[in-house]
Amino acid sequence: MSIGMRCAAPETPATASPTPQLDIAADLLTLLRDTTTEPRPDTQLEALTLAVAADLPVLLWGEPGIGKTAALTQLATALDLPLTTVIASVHEPSDFSGLPVIGDDPATHGVPMAPPDWAVRLVRAGRGLLFLDELSTAPPAVQAALLRLVLERRIGALQLPPGVRIVAAANPRSSAADGWELSPPLANRFVHLQWTHDHEVVVRGLGGTWPRATLPLLAPERLSEAVDFARRAVCGLLAARPKLVHQLPGNETRRGGAWPSPRSWDMTLSLIAFATAAGSSREVLSLLVRGAVGDGPGLELLASLDRMDLPDPETLLADPASAVLPQRGDLRQAVLDGVVAAVRGRPEKSRWDAAWALLVRALETGAPDLVVVPATTLAALRQENWDVPEAIEQLAGVVSLSRRADRAADRVAGRIGAGSAGGR
Amino acid sequence: MNAYAPGTLDLDKLFAARLHAVRARPYLATALFALHPVESRQVPTMAVDRHWRCYVSPSFVDRTPVEELAGVWVHEVSHLLRDHHGRSDRFAREHGLTGSGERLRMNIAADCEINDDAFGDGLVHPEGAVEPEALGLPTGELMEEYLRRFRLGPNTLSLSWLDCGSGADGLGREWELGPNGAHGLSEQERDAVRFRVAQGINGRPGNAPKGWRRWAEEAFHPPLPWRELLGAAVRSAASDSGVGEDYTYGRPSRRSAGLPGVVLPSLRRRPPRVSVIIDTSGSVSDAELGSALLEVTAISRAVGGRRDLVTVLPCDASAGIVHPLCRAEGIPLMGGGGTDLRTGFAKALRASPRPDVVVVLTDGQTPWPDTRPPCRTVVGLFPRQHTLRRRPVRSWGEDEDDRYVPDSPPAWARVVDIG
Repeated sequence: MSIGMRCAAPETPATASPTPQLDIAADLLTLLRDTTTEPRPDTQLEALTLAVAADLPVLLWGEPGIGKTAALTQLATALDLPLTTVIASVHEPSDFSGLPVIGDDPATHGVPMAPPDWAVRLVRAGRGLLFLDELSTAPPAVQAALLRLVLERRIGALQLPPGVRIVAAANPRSSAADGWELSPPLANRFVHLQWTHDHEVVVRGLGGTWPRATLPLLAPERLSEAVDFARRAVCGLLAARPKLVHQLPGNETRRGGAWPSPRSWDMTLSLIAFATAAGSSREVLSLLVRGAVGDGPGLELLASLDRMDLPDPETLLADPASAVLPQRGDLRQAVLDGVVAAVRGRPEKSRWDAAWALLVRALETGAPDLVVVPATTLAALRQENWDVPEAIEQLAGVVSLSRRADRAADRVAGRIGAGSAGGR
Repeated sequence: MNAYAPGTLDLDKLFAARLHAVRARPYLATALFALHPVESRQVPTMAVDRHWRCYVSPSFVDRTPVEELAGVWVHEVSHLLRDHHGRSDRFAREHGLTGSGERLRMNIAADCEINDDAFGDGLVHPEGAVEPEALGLPTGELMEEYLRRFRLGPNTLSLSWLDCGSGADGLGREWELGPNGAHGLSEQERDAVRFRVAQGINGRPGNAPKGWRRWAEEAFHPPLPWRELLGAAVRSAASDSGVGEDYTYGRPSRRSAGLPGVVLPSLRRRPPRVSVIIDTSGSVSDAELGSALLEVTAISRAVGGRRDLVTVLPCDASAGIVHPLCRAEGIPLMGGGGTDLRTGFAKALRASPRPDVVVVLTDGQTPWPDTRPPCRTVVGLFPRQHTLRRRPVRSWGEDEDDRYVPDSPPAWARVVDIG
């Protein structure tokens, strides 16, 4: 409005060359863009980085406008790759399968399929991050062409070089108006990452401070250890649970999501190795594993990893004096149960004594109620010629705790008995 | 061990109570042992935070008998297992609720969900524990259902002291140790504990009461509302290749001008034709049918269908007249007796032009066509009355054939359970 006024009224004497409005606007924009960053752990970005580094096709599921593109920009910086964003919904299938170009004599030379310019530039650079955004709003034929690009890494006659990494993004099925859905075989080829926004991050970011994620670095000296760990983790679980190797999704809700198959377990193996080599947290690993094989098998794998971390019962029995037991009650209980089971498997007086020493140690360093069941079971393993070790006296407190719980149980039984008697 | 002095937390008593709780509810042992007790003088009784710490008032432990403390242990761990903090946050976000009054209401609703089947069978009812009956509410419902049923008022006045911590209602308290304090469980560890408990219950379902079995079945796969599922099925059927917006060689592309001699496909829009077959055999209530029909039409409109392209076909043993949707309000849903949907299919497919999607709303007690019809088929399945038909909720660990579901629709149809 004011710009128009100035033009319309040139006769008004201008006060000493006023700053043009657009320059003032530029100043305001500069102020608005003047934001700082702060380091903040970001598990979903870390998971994405590892999956992309492992060269697995990633599918980000997330509502539009929650910062997927911003995340990809950070990822490109972290991996030092130029970022190419392709909005799938504004392209035609031939943009991905190649545009036919007529030569002199099509009958003899054929019709070559020419790739689009961005693909040519990507191939020429030899490396880059290709982000296929809005997969779900593209028509089915475009989606089909894109999937070939993601899975076979081909655009027309061009083969993408190994240095190019691809990430795709889609809206969740329930919010997508036109029902993007992966068939189970296709879904099985992707690592599915759910992209959500963190309320706190958004509010703080709009206030001027955006997070700066510290991204994982693979440690060269840990590579072989990482591969070994990943193989043990996956093979250990699948050897014990053969049913988990291959399970097609059974119902409507889980179609189009992650499900276990030898292929997705192989992806899981890579992901565990990458997360281990980068020293990533279990949170990150959880996103990756569940994104590859689905929630159920993923959680089961993670639970078995927790058990892999527990100290070996034989090591503990060999040197009970310097044993270090886990702090968390449920894990500690699992260790003590394991120790008692090991003694039961090979009952010898020295092992039995060592187990008692471990229970005493557990009592000194943690909650006493955890010790009750292992102590009872261990006592029952006593053989006739074995003398009771002195350590048992130190467990007197456990016995009184157990009796106290017994008395409570008796009172409950009595109260319920009295109650039902009164009711009649 | 017995270094207890009055005024400090009597850990022996607290742990004896936990032991009693574990003996009474062995399937909760992992969760009970994973809780880390923290002495606190700010909590009225016991409370949990979302990081699986359990804050305990020393004076509460002093004045409460062991058997009642055991009940409180189970109560508090139930808040965490049932993810009441996450569900409270989601409920608050969806309904735009703010303020501590609303959080108190969530705590009360969560307590109602737990307490109606938490006690008895070896555990006594702790004094003052909220029961749904005391608020005039039915038992056996979920926290979200209770939240829609009561307001804070005179009969909840006595509960205003209630405080189970942020683990119950999602609202952080200043006396809590927070995410970076000692002995907290990370999100992945919390999931792992919940998963172990669910796995234990699913493995030996006979030992746990019904409420816990339902929890274990749905802990990691909450069932989606049928509207969403039906919507997804119809949407995906109606936007499959050949239907809706897609490329066709029927007309040259606008790019063709630049490439003389080359035939390029062009983008064409062809709205899907949806035919809805309604089973009117009498076992499905009109209200249910009405809401499902509304849902289907809303969805077909959302995918670009026009009202005149949606037709409705009532069907029992013989197919009725095909009605265009514009007269849906007046369609006589008459019938009764036996159903044979095969006639409905035949009639729907005889229409010209042929429908792209057939949606069948039925209770499933019907013969089905032997061969796959030449279009996508979505079946909305109503629960059968008078027969106990288990909803086929399959957890990922089970074999597909573990549970027998009689008269199931054929494999070529996509089935959504309604209601």
